[in-house]
Amino acid sequence: MVAIAAQNIQMSFMSGTTETKVLKGIDLAIPSGQIRLMMGPSGSGKTTLLSILAGILTPTAGQVQLLGQEITTLSRKELTGFRRDHIGFIFQSFNLFPALTALENIELALQLKGYKGPGNKEQAFDLLKQVGLGDRANNLPADLSGGQKQRVAIARALAGEPELIMADEPTAALDSATGHDVIELMQYLAKNKGCTVLIITHDPRITDAADEITYLEDGILAKQSSLVSGFH
Amino acid sequence: MVSLARKNLLKDLPRFLVAQAGIMFAVSLVTIQTGILKGFTRSTTLLIDSSAADIWVASENIVNFELTEPFPYVQVQRAQQIEGVALAEALTIGSGRWYSDGKLTTLRVFGFDPNGQLFRPGKVSDTAIKALNAPYSALIDRTNQRSFRIDGVGDMARIRQLPVMVVGFARDTQSLVSSKFVFTSLVNANAYISSGFSSGLTCQLGNGDITCVNAYQRDEDTGNAEVVDPESLNSDSPVTYILVKAAPGEDVQLLKQRIESSLSGTKTFTKNELINTTQSYWQNRTGIGFILGLGAIVGVLVGMVVVAQILYTSVSENLREFGTLKAMGASDWDIYSVILEQSLWMAVLGYLPGLLLCWSVGTWTAATQGIVVLITPISAVGVFGITVVMCVGSAVFAIQKVTRVDPGIVFKA
Ligand SMILES: Nc1ncnc2c1ncn2[C@@H]1O[C@H](COP(=O)(O)OP(=O)(O)OP(=O)(O)O)[C@@H](O)[C@H]1O
Ligand SMILES: [Mg+2]
Repeated sequence: MVAIAAQNIQMSFMSGTTETKVLKGIDLAIPSGQIRLMMGPSGSGKTTLLSILAGILTPTAGQVQLLGQEITTLSRKELTGFRRDHIGFIFQSFNLFPALTALENIELALQLKGYKGPGNKEQAFDLLKQVGLGDRANNLPADLSGGQKQRVAIARALAGEPELIMADEPTAALDSATGHDVIELMQYLAKNKGCTVLIITHDPRITDAADEITYLEDGILAKQSSLVSGFH
Repeated sequence: MVSLARKNLLKDLPRFLVAQAGIMFAVSLVTIQTGILKGFTRSTTLLIDSSAADIWVASENIVNFELTEPFPYVQVQRAQQIEGVALAEALTIGSGRWYSDGKLTTLRVFGFDPNGQLFRPGKVSDTAIKALNAPYSALIDRTNQRSFRIDGVGDMARIRQLPVMVVGFARDTQSLVSSKFVFTSLVNANAYISSGFSSGLTCQLGNGDITCVNAYQRDEDTGNAEVVDPESLNSDSPVTYILVKAAPGEDVQLLKQRIESSLSGTKTFTKNELINTTQSYWQNRTGIGFILGLGAIVGVLVGMVVVAQILYTSVSENLREFGTLKAMGASDWDIYSVILEQSLWMAVLGYLPGLLLCWSVGTWTAATQGIVVLITPISAVGVFGITVVMCVGSAVFAIQKVTRVDPGIVFKA
């Protein structure tokens, strides 16, 4: 089954009177359970494509299906609901809530996804333990290292067991060793939980975590995605 | 439940405290202004309130409780004969000047029957009331003790030319818009009111012009000269009100009509009617209700500006957080509720100390200034309602801002 599919995605931005075509017809199909890396030079449109695939940005043309559901026809409200129910996000700059502890950050995500009640705390704590931060539950983000913050963010993205994980340069703010650990953790948990993962990255050192790599260049996909061999 | 609203509010504690101080002062301003208005209007009718009369009979030209015309005492005797009247007692109101230690104070004297049942000057002991049967004795309101320069019971002073001995103190009588109240018997009051009321006009015709000299008698201290006891009332003596107690089972409205038709030139009021007439006179005919209301509105506006500013800044500083919430699938309502919850916290945490402040200020002004800041349970609830509306209303600006947040912001490094 294809978890993330897109046909002929086009995106243009108007700046003043000049129109910039950022995406020029993208076709994509990511099978369920796959970890897909998307790479490409800066400004090639990776983040724009991810935003479209996540239903945050509406493309100028083209269709997107997530988990078999056509999303380009959904209303803004329906898209929000779809994200809440099916997508976990991981960001380059973590975007944790600075006033909340590590544990509360995850609890809030669970709350948002409709999990109520006293079980939330345990569930959040369980996720924290899965990312190896059981002993940092009551730390505020400011008191965590970059790698720890991103691990909290991973736990938060996994809250509510979404089928899809989308990450935009999750290792860019981390040194390479830490970045590698974080990606390995993502890989392990995603495989464990059967999530389909799309990761945008610049980082060539994490390519060994991917099932397949897509290259985006100047708004179009490079002719061939490379299937990473030697995985497992 | 994890509350992002509360945590974000408390994240910057100093700023939060400054905001709460702002709300607290806004709440206090509203409470004190309305409290003064309430205390002030209520003070104008305290004496009506403490009376046991069912019906107040006044001149048909009455404007408010203290502004009316007298009628002859014989009307009281006539009222007693009307069917359905169980009791009819006279109340007379006049003005005068109080001399004590050579200092002058204007006063309002109330004469009533110390052996009657229908008039009672606020909170006062029965023995003090009975003591008014003595000639030239009077009660004063506690809060006027200093103005009247009275140290205690038994002190002597002078009203116009006549002596007066303070035989007791009353509480909760004084109107804030009137001269200082003095309570005495009908006969004493009659003497005080008519004392020293002589003036003479002497005119001379010369060279085709009339020159007139108007000579008033001064309130000379009669010193040790013999003072005669006050004369008892005759049928022409002026009285201001007839206080009527209806016979048991009597329809008050019907009795009112019967009294008005029997006693020409009179107008009748139930207790509440006279209270309402008097209070609305002071609230509307004078600008005081408007002025104090304006103060309360300014308070609300100040509060709104403070809350709006804090919420708006908080949202502006946390745009990325709101973007993250949106990306994570938070509905508009989820996001509004964060801001609304913040505004409610601000309302509650500004209201409670604000009310406490007013209550302390009110206790202090009542004790030292004689100004009552009346905070009733209803007005406390009302001010809380205003505070909530104020805070939630000013959340609108912040909500406006957050509605426009693009969740795409989360991908910007
Ligand atoms: N909202 C926007 N308005 C106008 N232009 C935009 C907007 N968003 C992106 N662009 C433009 O689209 C192009 C692609 O941007 P995008 O962020 O998708 O690139 P990227 O591949 O993610 O780059 P990087 O690797 O640096 O993150 C850029 O030229 C950018 O200036
Ligand atoms: Mg990018």
